[in-house]
Order: sequence, then structure tokens, then C-alpha cells
Amino acid sequence: MKEEMKKTAELIQKQCQADDFTLQIYRTDDLRTRFAQNAVTQHINGANITIRLDVSFDNKTGTASTNQTDDDSLKNLVKKAENIARLNKPDPEFVPSENAHELREPINPHRATTELQVEKIVDDIVECIRNAEGRDARVSGISEKNVTKYFMQTGNGFEGYDESASFSHSMTMKKGGVETKVYRALSDYAEFSIDEMISQLNSQFDSLQEPQPGQIGRIPVILRPQAVLSWFLYLFWIFRLREADEGMTPFTDQIGKEFFGKDFSIHSTINDPKIETPVFTPDGLPTENIDWIVNGVIKKMQVDRYYARKKEIKPAMLFNMVIDGGDATEENMMKQVERGVIVNNLWYIRPVDTKSGEWTGLTRDGVLYFENGEIQHSLTNFRWNEVLHDVTKRILALGPPVQLRPEIVVPTMLIDDFNFVDVTTF
Amino acid sequence: MKYLELALEKALSLGAEYADIRIQRTQRELIYLRNLSMKNTSMQEVYGYGIRIFKNGAWGFAHSNEFSEDSVIKTVKRAFGLAEQSGRLKHADGLKLAHERGYIDSYQTPCYIDPFSVSLSEKVELMLEINKTMLGYNEIKQAMFVLETSKNEKLFGSTLGTRLDISTVYIDPTFQATAVTAKDSQSRSFREGGVASGWEYIDNLDLEEKAEKVAEEAIMKVKADSLGSEERRTLILDPIHMSLTMHESVGHPTELDRVLGWEADFAGISFATPEKLGNYRYGSNLVNFVADNTLEGGLATAGYDDDGVPNQKWYLIKEGILQEYGTTRDTAPLIGLEMSRGCNRATHYFDFPINRIPNLYLEPGEKELSPNDLIADTEDAIYIEGQGTFSIDQHRVNFQFGGDMFWEIKNGKKIRPLKKIIYKSNNPEFWNSVDAICDERFFRTFGVTNCGKGQPGQRGIMTHGGATARFRNIRVGGSQ
Repeated sequence: MKEEMKKTAELIQKQCQADDFTLQIYRTDDLRTRFAQNAVTQHINGANITIRLDVSFDNKTGTASTNQTDDDSLKNLVKKAENIARLNKPDPEFVPSENAHELREPINPHRATTELQVEKIVDDIVECIRNAEGRDARVSGISEKNVTKYFMQTGNGFEGYDESASFSHSMTMKKGGVETKVYRALSDYAEFSIDEMISQLNSQFDSLQEPQPGQIGRIPVILRPQAVLSWFLYLFWIFRLREADEGMTPFTDQIGKEFFGKDFSIHSTINDPKIETPVFTPDGLPTENIDWIVNGVIKKMQVDRYYARKKEIKPAMLFNMVIDGGDATEENMMKQVERGVIVNNLWYIRPVDTKSGEWTGLTRDGVLYFENGEIQHSLTNFRWNEVLHDVTKRILALGPPVQLRPEIVVPTMLIDDFNFVDVTTF
Repeated sequence: MKYLELALEKALSLGAEYADIRIQRTQRELIYLRNLSMKNTSMQEVYGYGIRIFKNGAWGFAHSNEFSEDSVIKTVKRAFGLAEQSGRLKHADGLKLAHERGYIDSYQTPCYIDPFSVSLSEKVELMLEINKTMLGYNEIKQAMFVLETSKNEKLFGSTLGTRLDISTVYIDPTFQATAVTAKDSQSRSFREGGVASGWEYIDNLDLEEKAEKVAEEAIMKVKADSLGSEERRTLILDPIHMSLTMHESVGHPTELDRVLGWEADFAGISFATPEKLGNYRYGSNLVNFVADNTLEGGLATAGYDDDGVPNQKWYLIKEGILQEYGTTRDTAPLIGLEMSRGCNRATHYFDFPINRIPNLYLEPGEKELSPNDLIADTEDAIYIEGQGTFSIDQHRVNFQFGGDMFWEIKNGKKIRPLKKIIYKSNNPEFWNSVDAICDERFFRTFGVTNCGKGQPGQRGIMTHGGATARFRNIRVGGSQ
């Protein structure tokens, strides 16, 4: 595939008259089986390719993309991108394409994933449905296999190739007012066990009963890893140096300062073979270890190539995310506070006010009330409004990190005084 | 067209009970300008075909971007194989498809000036001028303009004999100014959504005047006060704001696939279950929600849906009572309906069509009433313009919304701007609290171009609308 992509690149390069260019070719092969209410509802298969060409004449830029690979389409692609650039206005923030870099060799995707067939996926789903039917419940979800190959070349000598494969399985089981979900994504299907996932689903499901109405107010909360992932990934929507410098986020003038809680650290890593790491970013920069926040101190924010050049610093982009954990078990956490709420997942998270860093969302997939170290009963869902960096200052304990996606590792968090502002009827 | 016939013949020869093929080319021009820097000027084209096979009450779907007889046949076979696998785990006795007949027809968005024929230079110059106008104010530190133009050309064929040639286009201009002070940062936008129209839509907007208003109101907003803690208040909502509220709290709950639990794992389900049809009081007597995929300028107006069902107009809610859903050929029979309302739509050729919100609007009030009359008639309220933060639970009951601009109303007058206002409400409280709706002279629409739904996610488009309305006794307050 790499050779095929290179041939496409050669043809485009021959046609291209622009001063500079960046060419990106993505190929994806997908297999997706979607099920709902104990039956398959969609079954999708196909491959796609995206060829994207960014060109520039001096500092006038243009971009075109296509998913057709015949010679005429590729010539047309070059023509379109160049026409756009010629007609465009100069870009005062133009940055030339990336130079050549020494890159790590891409890791071959796991064969168990790339060779996974639809029959096996359906076999797994049969087990999920059988389990739900045995409990007189309904299960809905999706199994997905995705294989991606990526090639990039620039007019200034960069050339890179990477590939990856992943498998994910998600399912929600519901009976009456009891509803919960499990999700896992991983690079190697050989490490996936449908029995383990069903067991986790059953365990969560059995811990819930018909929910009792919750009460609004501040209360300690245990956010399980899926809940932490759902919210903390949003931090990177606004965790950018330029917007901070321009006064638009809470992080203005906070580099090097303890702005988050001292127990809160996030990094991106290229050293852990179990954590998926692209060889290079879409900017054409080799990935490298980045400490974003260490013990509450902001070390680095995301910076694009233009702003990095202006500030004479290195560009930085999130490519995987590890939130450091601790060694507290959920049982320890429940004993650490008098009473509190356990949340499986958070849902429909949106910024309320970007400058203050306030977010809103709801709980989902099961809420439990605990008191004196023991779970008492299920609760209806809550709405919460919270400032993320303030929340990290109220971390009371962290659980061991859990890998929920190939590129994301997060712990369970015990947080004091979480701000629940409304309750739902279910 | 030869590939279309080939695919359908092959599907039937393999034993498909029903099959369709969509050959679809999607073009999208995107121009993104930030503080006079051309961040993205691009033209994207996605071209290919998707084939659906229905067999033994279950679906298979495969897609390809390769146009050859061999590739078409292979894609049909893959779709057929997947339908057979789906049949291992089908709904009870299998899905049924609602009755439909074949159509031979074409549809084209009415369009005087093809937006793709307008030169890039003209578009960029206009955008730069707007950017410069907003940056001309000292307090405005960021000015953005995004112009999206999209065209969809589709050939649809089905084993019912349907042959459709559909071409739709829309334009979606959005710009925003962000004012920054030492203590705060607040934005104001021009954002009226996408419109299925030619470039004449842009020509008829006075964008320069709107840019000045946006910048001035961003500055007012950043210097404004917020409200204290939450209390029950009256809200007056403009149509652009209300379009988002109705999208989330009426549009999604009345999608039949959600009602049936087909989206339970991600997007969620719906409280508006079938036993409520014809008797559930969703809103006050003034509340009439019309689904209308024939609406002029509507983004879901395309002649037919991706089931080959003609566009229609019907009431979802009449005089406050839930009447019907938006349906597809495979969901309608599950609640005993013989025909689909034609709400099955896919984004790209490689997407499986799913139950989508139709164009949906709140009917204007019958009595003559302007927004100024409504404000004059209100003693104490918060008036919200445009869209801001939004969040709703997965059963579509409990929600929280912000807005783009806020005004305090006292004794019938707008007395001061506010910022950081949010309100919380739920179904059925919210729509039952409507006690006044302005008349049809003040009806405005908002075209949603980014409705996320499905697994894998798809980006749906549809248009909403209404006239400014008043809501009583809603929980309103300042954010933290």
C-alpha cells in the first residue's frame, strides 16, 4: 500500500507547479456491525481513500481533496488546488511545509485485527444478545474494525508513512429503568474477550436497581474511567497557547504555574508500546514525549506551527493522552468520604463559558449512591455544571490507570463537592 | 446510469427482496478566515456509490469509490453477504418495509446563481471586508468567518423501479467577533444557518451592517453583568435560538428510530413513546410543530429521501398534542404504519441512511403580534437571541441552554445587555409554558448543517424555524 501511495504522490508531484505543497493520503477499510434491541440494524463494509493536497504560491494557499485515484482525477486535484491558491489572498500567517525528519518505523498493525472477519464479529454479537435475552433485557451497540494507512509528503522534503488498526465494541443493556453501557477499543483483537466485556456489563447492570430520585447540590463523586475520559478529553478543545495568550481561555499567563490540582498530571508518550502512538502528526512533525500538566503545573499547551514559530517554541499537538493515576480502589474511595455518588459515564458535555472554563453535562449509564463505605441504591441521572481545572483541585484520590482506547489511559477519580445542578426523571 | 441498472439486476439475481443504489457526488467548498489569515481555503469532493440489500427482513450495505462493472458487482455481493449475516440476528420475524411505489423524477434546489460559479476572489474579498470591519473595533481581538458551500448530486435507483436524479445545494455563512477585556472574553455571532439557495442569498444579506452589529454587541456583552442565582422567570426567545431548542427537544425525540431504541447505545432513546401518540400534551394549545420536507430553502428539501419516498408535510404536534413521528420505510411498520414519512437520509455515499429530523418549525401565532409588541407586553423577562451552550439528556427530557445575546426586559423595555445566562427546563414543562408566539411576518428559519447522529457518526442537515415566542416560569440564572 505504501508503494501504491508513493506512486500516486509521484504523479501528483509531477503535475504540481506550486512553490510548495503538502500531500496527505489516507486509506481506511471499515467493517461495522450495529445492533439494537437484540437484533442487527446496520451492517456496513467498504474502503475509502482521501487524497488531500495543500499548495502555495508564495504565501497564497489552496487545498483540494478527492477520493478518486485515476490519473485524470489526480490531475484535476492539482489543478483545483492551484487555481484556489492563485485566486486566493495572501495569508499573513503562512508557514512553509515541513522539512524532512528522521522518523521511527511504524508498528505493523496486529493481524488478529486486520484479518478479523464479519462472521466472528456477528458471533460475538450473538453472545451479547443471548446474554441480554437471558436477563429479559435489551442490548444495543456497535462492533467496529478499522484499518488505516497514511502517507504524507511535502515540497520541502518530508516523507512519512504510518498505519494502524483498531477494533472497538460498545454495548448498552436496558431493562425498565436500569440502563448501563460498556465500551472498549483496542489495537489487537487477540486481546479482546467478549466474555470479559459481557461479564463487566452484567456486573454494572446487576449493581443497579430502579433508580431513586437524586438531590441536587455538591457531593463527593467517584468518576469511573469512562466518565473521566468523556470529559477530560474536552480540555484539549481549549488548551491552546494562542487562545490563552489572546485572553480567551482561563489559561492566560498560566504557563509554569500551578493552575490545576497538585494531584493532576497529563502527558503524551511515545515510550509505552501498549499506547498507540502515531509516527508523526498531521503537521508532519515527529511525535515526541510531551508533559502537558505535571502535578498541577501547566508545562505546555497545544501550539500550531505558525504560532510556535512566532513564539520561537516547538509546535505541540495532542496525539495520545495519559492521565496519571494512583492506587486507590473504589472501596478505599467510598470509605474516604462519608457519602457520595458513583458515576459510570458523562454525557452531552459542552462548554458553558470558555473564558471561565465552565462545562455542563449529564450523568449516564448508571449512578449509584454510597454511604458509610457501601453502595446504597441507584439514583436518577444528574445535570452538572463545573469548572474543569477547579475540579482537579478537589481530587481526593486516584485509581490505577485504565486503557479504554488504544491511545487513552485514565484513572478513576474521587472528587469532592461535585456540583450537581439538576436531576432527570430517569 | 449503467452501473445503477447493473447493481439492481445483480442484487435481484442474488435473491434480494429489495435493493437500492445511491451514486453520489458531494462537493464542499470551505473558506475559513481568522484575523485576516486564510486558515483554510479548500474544495473537497467525495464520489462513490452505496448499495443496500434487504433480504429475509435484514439489511446489508456496502460502498465503493471504484467505478467499474467488476467493482459494482463485487460491492453488490458484499452487501448481499452482509444482509445474510444480519439475518442471523434479525428483529423477531424480520423487518418489514413500508409500502411504496416507484418514481421516475428529478429534483434540483431552486438556485439563480450557482454558488460554485461565484469566483473565489469575490468570496474571499467579501469575507476579508467583514473581518476588517469587526477588527476595526479596539476590543475585538478575534474575528472569524467561515463560509461553507455544499452541493450533492445523487442518482438513486431501487428495485421498486424508482429512478431519481437529485441535485441539492446550500450555503452557510457564519462570522463571529470576540471581545476581550482584562477580566473576560465574550463572543457574538452572525449565524443563521445554512440555506438551500444560490449565491443570491448572500447578495441579499447586508453582511457589512451585520458585522458592525456583531462587533458592537460582543463589546456590550463582555462589559455586561450576569444574573445571580437561578430563579423562575419569563423568557422571550428569538427564532434562531428557538431553532436549536426545538431541534433537541422536539426534533430528536420524534425520530421513530430513537423511539424504537435503535440509537440506545449512543445518541439515546426518546421519552415520546408510541402510546403517547394522540394524547400526550407536549406543549400548550398554541404549539403546532410542522414537519415539512417541502419547505422552500429547507435543507431537508430534496424531492425524495434515501428510501425513495417523496418529501411530505405533516404535523408532529398539533395544538400541543403529539401526533406523529418522522419515519423511514423500515421503522414505520414497527408501529403499525403502512407508509413512511420519508425521513431516511445519508450524508455521503458511504453512509447507511438513518432516520433524520425533517425540516421542522413552530407555526407562527394567528394573532397579529410583533417581537416589539411582545416585549412591550412583558413586565419582567430575559430576551435571548441566537445560539450558545446546549446540552440534553439521552431520553430528551432534561435540558440546559444558553444563547448568543441576552437582554433584560423590564416594564416592556429592553433595559440592559447581560451575559453568561443559562436556563434549565424539560419536556413537557418547556413547550407547555408558551403563552405567546409572534405572527408569520416574523417567521425566520435556521438551517442546521451539523446534526451529529449515528454510529459511525453522520452529519445531517435540516431546517427549523418559528417566530419569537414567550415562555413563562422557566428556571433562568447566571452561570458560575
